[in-house]
Amino acid sequence: MAEPILEIRHISKSFDTIQALDDVSLDLYPGEIHALMGENGAGKSTLIKVMTGVYHADEGEMLLDGKPIRVGNSVEAQAYGIAAIYQEPMIYPDLNVAENIFITHRSRGPIVNWRKMHQDAEKILAKLDVKLNVREPARGLTLAAQQTIEIAKAISLHVRVLIMDEPTASLSAHEVEQLFKLTRSLRDQGVSILFISHRMEEVFEIADRVTIFRDGRWISTLPRAEITRERAIHDMVGRKIEEFFAKSKGQRGELLMSVRGLSKENVFSDVSFDVYRGEVLGFAGLVGSRRTDVGLALFGVEPADSGEIILDGKVERIRCPEQALRVGVAYMTEDRRQIGLTMPMSITSNVTLPMLHQYLSRIGLIQRRGEEATAEHYRERLSIRTPSVRQPVAMLSGGNQQKVMLSKWLNTRPQILILDEPTRGIDVGAKAEVHQIINELAAQGLGIILISSDMPEIIAMSDRILVMREGRQMGIFPREEATQEIILAAAMGQDGDTAEAL
Amino acid sequence: MRRLEWLKSWEGLLLAILIVIVVLNTFTTPHYLQAQNQINLFQLNIEKIIVALIMTFIIINAEIDLSVGSVMGLAGCVMAFLFERGVPFEMCLLAGLLTGVLAGAINGFMVAHVGLTSLIVTLAGQIGYRGLAHVLLENRSVGNFPDWFDRLGQQPLVGPFPVALITFFVLLIIALIILQWSGAGRYVFVIGYNREVARYSGVNVRRVKMTLFVMSGVISAFAGLLLAARLGSMRGDTALGTELEVITMVVLGGVSIFGGTGSLFGVLLSILIILNLRNGMGLLNITGEIQTGVIGILLILSVLLPNIGRGVREAWSRRRRVQRIRVEE
Amino acid sequence: MMERLKRYFRPEQLRELSLVFLIALIFLFFGTQIEGYFSPRIFNRVTSDVAIIAVVAIGETLVLLTRNFDLSVGSIVGLTAFAVGKLLTFHPDMLPIVALLSAIGLGAALGLLNGLLVSFGRVPSIIVTLGTMAIYRSTLVAYPAGTKNVVTNDLPQWILDLGRVQLFSIGEFNIRPVVAGALVMFVIFQLVTSYLRFGRRLYAIGSNPEAARIGGLPSERIVLSAFILCGAMAGLGGFMFLVRYGDLTPAAAQGMELQVIAAAVVGGVSTNGGSGTMIGALLGALMINLLQQSLLRWLVISDFWVDALLGMLILVAVTIDAVIINRLRNIWSQRGLETSPVDEKKMIEEESPDA
Repeated sequence: MAEPILEIRHISKSFDTIQALDDVSLDLYPGEIHALMGENGAGKSTLIKVMTGVYHADEGEMLLDGKPIRVGNSVEAQAYGIAAIYQEPMIYPDLNVAENIFITHRSRGPIVNWRKMHQDAEKILAKLDVKLNVREPARGLTLAAQQTIEIAKAISLHVRVLIMDEPTASLSAHEVEQLFKLTRSLRDQGVSILFISHRMEEVFEIADRVTIFRDGRWISTLPRAEITRERAIHDMVGRKIEEFFAKSKGQRGELLMSVRGLSKENVFSDVSFDVYRGEVLGFAGLVGSRRTDVGLALFGVEPADSGEIILDGKVERIRCPEQALRVGVAYMTEDRRQIGLTMPMSITSNVTLPMLHQYLSRIGLIQRRGEEATAEHYRERLSIRTPSVRQPVAMLSGGNQQKVMLSKWLNTRPQILILDEPTRGIDVGAKAEVHQIINELAAQGLGIILISSDMPEIIAMSDRILVMREGRQMGIFPREEATQEIILAAAMGQDGDTAEAL
Repeated sequence: MRRLEWLKSWEGLLLAILIVIVVLNTFTTPHYLQAQNQINLFQLNIEKIIVALIMTFIIINAEIDLSVGSVMGLAGCVMAFLFERGVPFEMCLLAGLLTGVLAGAINGFMVAHVGLTSLIVTLAGQIGYRGLAHVLLENRSVGNFPDWFDRLGQQPLVGPFPVALITFFVLLIIALIILQWSGAGRYVFVIGYNREVARYSGVNVRRVKMTLFVMSGVISAFAGLLLAARLGSMRGDTALGTELEVITMVVLGGVSIFGGTGSLFGVLLSILIILNLRNGMGLLNITGEIQTGVIGILLILSVLLPNIGRGVREAWSRRRRVQRIRVEE
Repeated sequence: MMERLKRYFRPEQLRELSLVFLIALIFLFFGTQIEGYFSPRIFNRVTSDVAIIAVVAIGETLVLLTRNFDLSVGSIVGLTAFAVGKLLTFHPDMLPIVALLSAIGLGAALGLLNGLLVSFGRVPSIIVTLGTMAIYRSTLVAYPAGTKNVVTNDLPQWILDLGRVQLFSIGEFNIRPVVAGALVMFVIFQLVTSYLRFGRRLYAIGSNPEAARIGGLPSERIVLSAFILCGAMAGLGGFMFLVRYGDLTPAAAQGMELQVIAAAVVGGVSTNGGSGTMIGALLGALMINLLQQSLLRWLVISDFWVDALLGMLILVAVTIDAVIINRLRNIWSQRGLETSPVDEKKMIEEESPDA
């Protein structure tokens, strides 16, 4: 058997108190597609960063063709033939496609030969069997096209180890197929591919071997033929899947909100649904299906162009978050680091921010005691673990940060709460807590829209599931009828039985 | 323990620098610490430090206003222009203030509603408003303002403290209260830290930014009028180049140019440093332009040094970690 | 048909075309308003002035492309003009070429300082150049040698001739050395930004600084080079300034940075980096200066309106950029579904892993 191209031996990496990688080892052979799976926080992206030189490992080493190497930065990684492609392609919007591919090259000389560059770009794209106008600026291209550019870039640099980090996250079914074709062709040319995904269906379709990480540790590496879904889940999670999803109890009450024909040009079209008191309406779909955009439209951050939102029998024009809050709609973002919370500020300040005007005295000064009382109330109710509500939220764990965010929106006394990936990036224990809270909220009479990419979660937690694909509504399924296969089929836009038997 | 940490902070550093400068100055001039001298120190720069108060808010909000000097000039020129033509003086003053409102509103509209970067908008404003000032007064110098106005700046009101100085302290206290204790202040911080977080939290970002720029215009106009009172006359190029000093006062005071952090206490310390530094330089017969050059050095250092410090700290901790691993092997 | 149009006219080129159109408009309008507008004298005046601004605008454009600003160019122009003027006053036998190179060299050194602080000190360029603008200007003022000003009488004859001699003429219209020099510089740098890898990387850095850093481009070195070149061009501009004006005070070229930035911005160079051309900057400089000179001679409004209009012009130019060009860009390129704001910020999930 051939020698491995890259060997990762006993790598460990920690950040302050968190052990991101703990003694992991992995081999990558030429001409294989090696999948890496694991939940959020398992250490996948940390490993990528160590491999590409963004982070330096605390312990352990990497061997390239049997010789130890040190990857100090991305330039060195490039020189070794290690490249990574991420979910968000790093392209230069103002440069054209060909230039995007070749701009980082050091060997093409100081003078740009435009004709040759365009020709070379076309050649590479032809090898990938992709059609793109190489003279076009990269700015307007679809995500899939941008990704192709990244792959072309890697090929042009004679990549030997290509890391693909959740590359299918925002692609349509057709684009995924094309990507797989590309990937297989790369493999056949001898490239070693590290394919990271949490989509089991895809992994089973494309991988030659599967490695699973959990909590920063290597758990298993098996050839695809030997792995089963149960085994994979077991390795990723460490316990049986039923154990940590709480089932919601459906007690449907009155109609809270009706949405009819909601559309936003080039984003989503003709979305219609109802939300009832006490009900959890799940929004399922592959990432990129525009569910978040619907949520943003309902909350007024990115208002829709047309369609109706009816609350309490009245048609409401929601054009900004203030208005949304006034009619009782609140939206909790999935991105708690960048836009969900103000990291340097205290828990209290974060919780009261949307409703700050209620805590002001007549001359506009903040009544801190009232603020803190509110913060304490939620700390108790949601079991937020912190020494004090005055702590900056940056110091809390992911799960507790999520709870602070939840408190913030609960404090706005919404009728309808839109939760966008509420359990992303938090540990299993906190996840269960959040699910419990969602159930309680529904029981207390809120209408909840749950946007989630976690199929089992959505199926377990929702009373009805609305499936979206590329901005279009594919259907609404009551819980009794919803299975993973059906939901996935709708999410991928195929009729009939499509998802592989799992 | 807390006091020690505070001393290590930026404000502690500023305080140390201030003490050094004052001590040095006292050696060169024996009467340096006398009340009258200190008051004069403030008086000569009172307009700038008033503008520095609002600039603090703007920079914390992750914006910048390069047009403050030009608005100061324009407001004074509008006042002088109307005064030349016989308009009742009080109306002239009012017109001056309204000029500030208008200029600030234009700036604010462009930034908050059209969505342009404040850098280029206020750069254009700097050119445009100064140009308008020149249009009004051309090459002339207008003076002969009513006596009460001329004495306004200098005349002691409460004890030895003149009106202008008292105004500064009043504004300082108001600014402090708003920034640290009011809802508006918190909005300013949040928006400056991350505009998107504020927006997603239901904060009316546009309204806050618009208000800030209008306030900047008004206060700059007010400062321009104070300047006219102190100088006793007005020219088209009055208050030229004030931006540099005002921004230095704020940034040196520990307010991050990227927004989201800062305190007025730091700004006050940096104001004291700059004023005493200027005074000291003046006593050593260093000319105004060179003083400005020194201010320029201060500005760069106030951002450069923390960066270097951070780099040194990171390199040091990395070395320690490597050593730790070696020991463990 | 749309495809053909798409191939030939990018939105940026539309911008350049409309500038040419506007310049022609201004030209024709004032031609009817001002006596002797089309005379050689005016032509020489305008082209000489434009030449100086244009040359400095070349350097400023290089910096703007990388998403930075250089506010100190006015001070650099003044300082180098003054320094060379003083040098020539005390060493009249100095070779012209030496004088020219000293100006450029001094400018480059000043630009080097700017670049080091921005690239390696990681201080935002606004802060750095706001500071160095004051520092360089105060150095100029502090110059102790002899009299405060540079006076034409003290300068060697060749300098004064340089301003007046004609390289070649078309009928009555002369092309003076400074103008020719500026044109040559433009051609050179248009080629640099179109055909040199270095030039293309300027665009890349401005277009996506993060990608440039991670992708392994030597960003610091490239930005440093941009500032050095900007200083060098300002130095050249200083030399040309000396040639043009002869008599200098310490306030020489004060405020020029604003004109230069205005020229670039009006010419389509984006303040966000990544786009803009030298041709655009040249057209912008031409249009602004033409407007200024025309307004100066137009008796209908006082000359003092010039600056006020300049400010308005910048605002209009930038607003048009923000509002219209973006919309045009959307039409021009095939748009897939736009990513929502949240998706765009979603980088790799576990940055510093949370438990």
